[in-house]
Amino acid sequence: MQARADVIAGVGLKDKPRKSRWPARMDLAQSVTGLLLGLFMWGHMFFVSSILLGKDAMWTVTKMFEGYFLFGRPYPVLVSFVVAAVIALFVLHALLALRKFPANYRQYRAFSAHRRLIRHGDTTLWWVQFMTGFALFFLASPHLFQMLVHPGLIGPFESADRVWSGGWWPLYLVLLFAVELHGGIGLYRLAVKWGWLQGADADASRRRLAVAKWTLTAFFLVLGLATLAAYMKIGYEHRDRAGERYVPARVQPAPVGGGGQ
Amino acid sequence: MKIVYTDVLVIGGGLAGLRVAIGAKRRGHDVVILSLVPAKRSHSKAAQGGMQASLGNVIKGQGDNEDVHFEDTVRGSDWGADQEVVRMFVNTAPKAVRELAAWGVPWSRVRPGDREVIINGQKVTITEREEAAGLIAQRDFGGTKKWRTCYVSDGTGHAMITAVGDQAIADRIPVHERTEAIALIHDAGRCYGAIVRDLVTGELRAYVAKATAICSGGAGRLYRVTTNAVICEGIPTAIALETGIAALGNMEAIQFHPTGIFPAGILVTEGCRGDGGLLKDADGHRFMPDYEPEKKELASRDVVSRRMEEHIAKGKGVKSRFGEHLWLDITLLGEKHIRNNLREVYEICHYFLGVDPVREWIPVRPAQHYTMGGVRTDHTGESPTLKGLFAAGEAACWDMHGFNRLGGNSVAETVVAGMIVGEFIADFCDRAENAVNIPTRLVQEILAAEQAKLDALVGGRGTEDAAALKVRMQEIMTAKVGIFRDGPVLEQAVAELEQLLVRSRNIGLRCKGGGANPELATAYRVQKMLKLALCVAYGAYTRTESRGAHFRQDFPRRNDAEWLRRTLATWKSGSDTLPTLAYEPLDVARMELPPGWRGYGAKDYIDHPATAARAAEVEAVRRRMAGADRFAVQQALMPFAHLLPARLRGRNERIDERF
Amino acid sequence: MANGTHRKLRLHVMRYNPRVPGDAPRLQTYELEEADGMTLFIALTEIREKQDPSLQFDFVCRAGICGSCAMVIDGRPGLACRTLTKNLGEEITLAPLPFFELIGDLSVNTGKWMRAMSERLEAWVHMRAGELDLTRIEERMDPALAERIYELDRCIECGCCVAACGTARMREDFVGAVGLNKIARFRLDPRDARTDADYYEVVGDDAGVFGCMSLLACHDVCPKNLPLATQIAFVRRKMAREGLG
Ligand SMILES: Cc1cc2nc3c(=O)[nH]c(=O)nc-3n(C[C@H](O)[C@H](O)[C@H](O)COP(=O)(O)OP(=O)(O)OC[C@H]3O[C@@H](n4cnc5c(N)ncnc54)[C@H](O)[C@@H]3O)c2cc1C
Ligand code: HEM
Ligand code: HEM
Ligand code: SF4
Ligand code: F3S
Ligand code: FES
Repeated sequence: MQARADVIAGVGLKDKPRKSRWPARMDLAQSVTGLLLGLFMWGHMFFVSSILLGKDAMWTVTKMFEGYFLFGRPYPVLVSFVVAAVIALFVLHALLALRKFPANYRQYRAFSAHRRLIRHGDTTLWWVQFMTGFALFFLASPHLFQMLVHPGLIGPFESADRVWSGGWWPLYLVLLFAVELHGGIGLYRLAVKWGWLQGADADASRRRLAVAKWTLTAFFLVLGLATLAAYMKIGYEHRDRAGERYVPARVQPAPVGGGGQ
Repeated sequence: MKIVYTDVLVIGGGLAGLRVAIGAKRRGHDVVILSLVPAKRSHSKAAQGGMQASLGNVIKGQGDNEDVHFEDTVRGSDWGADQEVVRMFVNTAPKAVRELAAWGVPWSRVRPGDREVIINGQKVTITEREEAAGLIAQRDFGGTKKWRTCYVSDGTGHAMITAVGDQAIADRIPVHERTEAIALIHDAGRCYGAIVRDLVTGELRAYVAKATAICSGGAGRLYRVTTNAVICEGIPTAIALETGIAALGNMEAIQFHPTGIFPAGILVTEGCRGDGGLLKDADGHRFMPDYEPEKKELASRDVVSRRMEEHIAKGKGVKSRFGEHLWLDITLLGEKHIRNNLREVYEICHYFLGVDPVREWIPVRPAQHYTMGGVRTDHTGESPTLKGLFAAGEAACWDMHGFNRLGGNSVAETVVAGMIVGEFIADFCDRAENAVNIPTRLVQEILAAEQAKLDALVGGRGTEDAAALKVRMQEIMTAKVGIFRDGPVLEQAVAELEQLLVRSRNIGLRCKGGGANPELATAYRVQKMLKLALCVAYGAYTRTESRGAHFRQDFPRRNDAEWLRRTLATWKSGSDTLPTLAYEPLDVARMELPPGWRGYGAKDYIDHPATAARAAEVEAVRRRMAGADRFAVQQALMPFAHLLPARLRGRNERIDERF
Repeated sequence: MANGTHRKLRLHVMRYNPRVPGDAPRLQTYELEEADGMTLFIALTEIREKQDPSLQFDFVCRAGICGSCAMVIDGRPGLACRTLTKNLGEEITLAPLPFFELIGDLSVNTGKWMRAMSERLEAWVHMRAGELDLTRIEERMDPALAERIYELDRCIECGCCVAACGTARMREDFVGAVGLNKIARFRLDPRDARTDADYYEVVGDDAGVFGCMSLLACHDVCPKNLPLATQIAFVRRKMAREGLG
C-alpha cells in the first residue's frame, strides 16, 4: 500500500478529493433501464400481437396478466402495477438520457451540422435515437397513462375500439416506428458500448450486430404493423358496438375458474 | 519585445532534444524546448528499423558486447569517427535501451524456441534460448557482425519518441511548439540563447539561456529527393554556422538510401531486395548484374545507390513529370510473401502510390537519407569554439558516424547523446561562472536586427521567387552533389549554388501579409539552406578522396595519408559566398582501432604514415595482455571511462556476462 | 503505369485566418493537373509553390506516420499525405479539422490539445518508486503482451478520432477516443503502477469514458486502425466496476 501511496503522490492526487462514483452508476443505470425497456418492448410486441392469433388468444394473454388464471378472477390493478414499474423505468431512463441531449441550441447545431457533413452510420443512428427518444417522451406518455388508469380496458374489442373508434391509431403508428427504431438501435448500442458479443474480430462482430439489429427492427415493424392493422380491422368492424367488452364464446355467459388453453 | 529566460534552451524536440531536456531538468535546471512541430511529430518518429545496443539476448547476438559494437561502428565510419566518442556511445547504448524499456517502450521480446528467418535470401531455422525468454529481442541490420538492433515491431522510432515525449510531459518540460530558432544570440565567444520566430503569429522573441542545445536533426531537404520529413531543413545548423564562430563538421558526408519510392521519397525497406526483389530500368531490363555481377541487387547500400544513379545518367531512367526513376520489381515474391513479410511495403505502395506491389512494379530512386555532419562538438557535446553552445543527435558532429553511419546507430545516438550531453549541460549550468551576464540591451539589438531582416524581405523590392530558388537548389544538390561525385561537376554545382545564394539576397515576396506567412518562412530558410548546401558541395569538392558515403569518381580511393581529417566549415562574414574550410586531423596514434580494410567494399586505400606504427603498438598490447579480461585490454589501448558522466560509467550486464 | 491525359482537379480549400482582422471563412478553388501517384501532399505543395504562397497547411513526415496532416477531406477526417487524388473525384473539398484551435486555412493546433490531454490524463508510465539500475538486465515481458501494448501505442495523435466524434463536438471537455485509448494502453502495461482507482480519477466522469456515446466514428476514421471500439468498451467496463466497488 505504501507503493500505491507513492504512486498517487507522484501523480499529484494524494490530497485531492476522490472523484464521485455517480457518473459510473448513472451510466450503468442508463444502460440497465434501456435494456429492461428494450426487452420489455419485445415482450410487449409479442403479447399485443397475440391478436393475430385470434381474439381469444389476445383475451387469454390479457387475462393472464390480470391474474385471472391464478386467482380465478381478473385483477386489472395488477396491470397497473406493471405499468407503474414501466413508467418508473421510462422516467428514469428519460431523465438519464437527458444528460446526453444537446444542452443548448449551439450544441444541437454543432451536432447536426457534424452529422450531415460526416455521413457516418453510427453517428446518424445516434441522431435517430435522440430524435425518437425525444418523440417517445411525448408519444408514449399518453399511452402509458391510459394503461395506468384504465388497465381493465385491455382486450380484443376494448383495444380495437380504442385504436379505431378512439382514434388512437395515428399515435400508435408513429409510436411504433419511434420505439422500434429507438429500442433496436439502443440494444445494438448497448452491445458495442460494453463490448458484448464481441468475437476475435471486433469489426466483423459489429457488422454482424448491425445486421441482427436491422433484422430485428424490420421483424418487429412488420409484426407491429400487422398487429395494428388487425386492431384497426376489428375496431372498424366493431365500430357500431364500440365499448362492448369481449367475452370468449367458450366462457359465456360468465367465466368459471380453471379455463384456459 | 519579449524575452524568455531559462537555464537551458533546447532547439528541437526529437529524440535527442527530448532526452537532453529530461537530463537537464532532472538535475534541477529549467528547460524550454523549441520545436517547429509538436515534439512527437519530429522525424525521429520515422525510424522503423531499430536501435543498436549490444544486449546479446537473441542467439544470433550471442557474444555481442561493446567491443564488437565499437569495431562495427568505426569500420562503418570508414575511420572517420572519433573513437573515444564511439566508446562512450557503445558503453551507454545498452543503458539507453533499458531506460527506455522502463519508460514504457514496448520493445519486441524474445520468444524461446525455434523460428524461421530469412538470411541472405535463405530460409534458416534458429533456436532462441530459454534464458533469454522475455528479454529485449534484436534483429539483423546491415554492417553489423551480430544481431544487435533492438526494435519495436515496425515502429521503433514512433514507440521511442512516444515514451520519451511522455516522460518529458511527466517532467513538466514546456515545449514551445510551432516556434523556429532563426538566429543564435552570442557575444564574445559565448552563446546565450536564440532569436525565435513564432510560426503562428509571426512574432519574434528572444530566449536567453545559460546553455543552448541544437538538437534539430538532419538537413535532408537540401535535396530534392530525400527520405527525410519536410521539416528537416537544418536551419539551426545553419544559424550555428552564421555565428561565424561555431564550426560544422564533415557536412559533405551524406548518406543515400537506394529505395525511396518515387517521387515522395518515402523509404521502403532493404528487405525487398534481401528477399529477392529486382531493380529494373525503363526497358524493363534488370541492370544490376551488368554492374555488379557478383552481388547484383544485394551489394551494399552506397554501391547500389551509385549504380542506380549511374544507370539513370545513361538515360535508362523512366521519365515522369516529377523527374526520372527506376523500378523495383517484387512481383516474383508472390502475394503471400509480400502480404505477410513485407506488410509495411505493401501498405506504403497502397497508400502512397496506389500501386499493388503484388502485380505492379514500384517506382524508386535513391534518396538522401542521413546527414553525418553537423555542428562540431567535443565529447561533452559542446562546441569547442562557441562556449555554451551544445549539440546532440543528427544535428551534431559529435562524431561517432564519421563518413557513414550504420543503420540503427542513429536513433541510438540520439538517446545516448541525450543522456550524456544532458548531464554535461547540467554540469555546465551548475558552475557559477556560467551565469547569464549578457546585457538586455544587446539582446534587444540582436532581436531588432533579425526583425529588420524579415521586414526587409516582406517590404523589400526583391524580385527572386523563394520557392523557385529552393527547388533549384534541391535539384542541383540531387543531380550534382549526390551519390556520385566528380570534380568538374562539383565545381559547377558550387558555382551555381553561389549564384543562387547571391540571388537569394534579392528575394521578393508575393505574399506581404504578416502573421504566419509561409512564403516569408521559405524565404529566410532558403537563404540559410543555401549556406549549408554550399558547405556540403564545397566540402565535397575539396575532399579529393572517397570515404564512406562520400564517393568521388575521380578519386575513388580512401586516402588516409591526406584525408584522415575532419572538415570544419565556418562562415566568416555575411557577405561571403563560400564557407571557410579548415581541417582537423584525427590522431592515429591514439586510435584503439587503427585504420584498415572495412571488411567490405573496396580494399584499395592509401595508408596514413602513422598507421603501421600504431597497428604494431596495438598488436603488442593485445599480445602482452592475452588472457586479461577485455575491459583491461581496452583500458590499456584507449581509456575512455573518465570521459563519461559518473552515473553512466558502469559495466553492462548480459545473460552471458554478469557482474 | 497509366500515362497520357490527366484529369484536371479542382480543389476547394477552406481559407480563413483568424488572426487577420476582418477575414471571413471562404472556399477558394485551385485548379491543377493530376499526375500519377499524386497525393494531397503533392497537390497542396504544388499549389503553394506555384500558385498561392500564402496557403497554410501542415505536413511533416508526408509518410502517414506523424499525424500532422489530418484534415477534413470531402467531409471525412483523414491524413492528407496518404490520400491519393485518384481515389477522389475531380472536385475535392478540403477543410481544417474542426474542434481544434484553428491556426489558419488547413492548419490546426492539434499538438496543443494533445499535450493538454496528456497532462490531464497523466498519459505516461508511472514507474514504481526507487532508482533504476541501468546496468542490470531489463525486466522480462511476455512477447505477446509487448505486441499488444504496441498495438495501442501506435496512435499518432492526429486528432481524426476527436474531429469525427459527435460527442466531442457537443462537449468540448471530452477526452476523446485518443485519450481513452491511452488509458487502455497504460492499464495494460505492467510497468505502470497505477490501479483502476487511479484511472477512475482521470476518466471516470462524463468528460471521460462515461461521456462517450458509442458513436464509433473514431474507430471508423482512425488512420492507424486502432481497435478503439474494443478499447473504449474495455475502459468503460473497468471504470464502471470501479464505480460500483
Ligand atoms: C525514413 C527514415 C528511417 C530511419 N530509420 C532509422 C532506423 O531504423 N534506425 C536508426 O537508428 N535511425 C534511423 N533513421 C535516422 C534517425 O531517425 C534520425 O537520425 C534521428 O531520429 C534524428 O533524431 P534527432 O532527435 O536528432 O532529430 P529529429 O527527430 O529530426 O528532431 C528534430 C527536431 O528539431 C526541431 N527543429 C528543427 N528546426 C528547428 C528550428 N529552426 N527551430 C526549432 N526547432 C527546430 C524539429 O521540430 C524537431 O523537433 C531514419 C531516418 C529516416 C529519415
Ligand atoms: C422518454 C423516452 C425516451 C427517451 C427520451 C430516450 C432517450 C434515449 C437516449 C438519448 C439514449 C442514448 C443514450 C446514450 O447515447 O448514452 C437512449 C438509449 C437507450 N434507450 Fe431510450 N429513450 C426513451 C425511451 C426508451 C424506451 C421506451 C426504450 C425501450 C425500447 C429505450 C431503450 C433504450 C436503450 C436500449 C438505450 C441504450 C442504452 C445505453 O446506451 O446505455 N428508450 N435513450
Ligand atoms: C406496461 C406498460 C404497457 C402496457 C400494459 C401496454 C399495453 C398495450 C396494449 C394493450 C396495446 C394494444 C393497443 C391498446 O390497447 O391501446 C398496446 C399497443 C402499443 N403499445 Fe403499449 N403498453 C405498455 C407500454 C408501452 C410502452 C412503454 C410503449 C412504447 C414506448 C408502448 C408502445 C405501444 C405501441 C407502439 C403499441 C401499438 C402496437 C401495434 O400497433 O403493434 N407500450 N400497448
Ligand atoms: S486514436 Fe487514431 S485517430 Fe485518434 S489520434 Fe490516435 S491515431 Fe489519430
Ligand atoms: S466517436 Fe466519440 S462518442 Fe465515443 S465511440 Fe468514438 S469517442
Ligand atoms: S504528414 Fe505526417 S501523417 Fe501526414
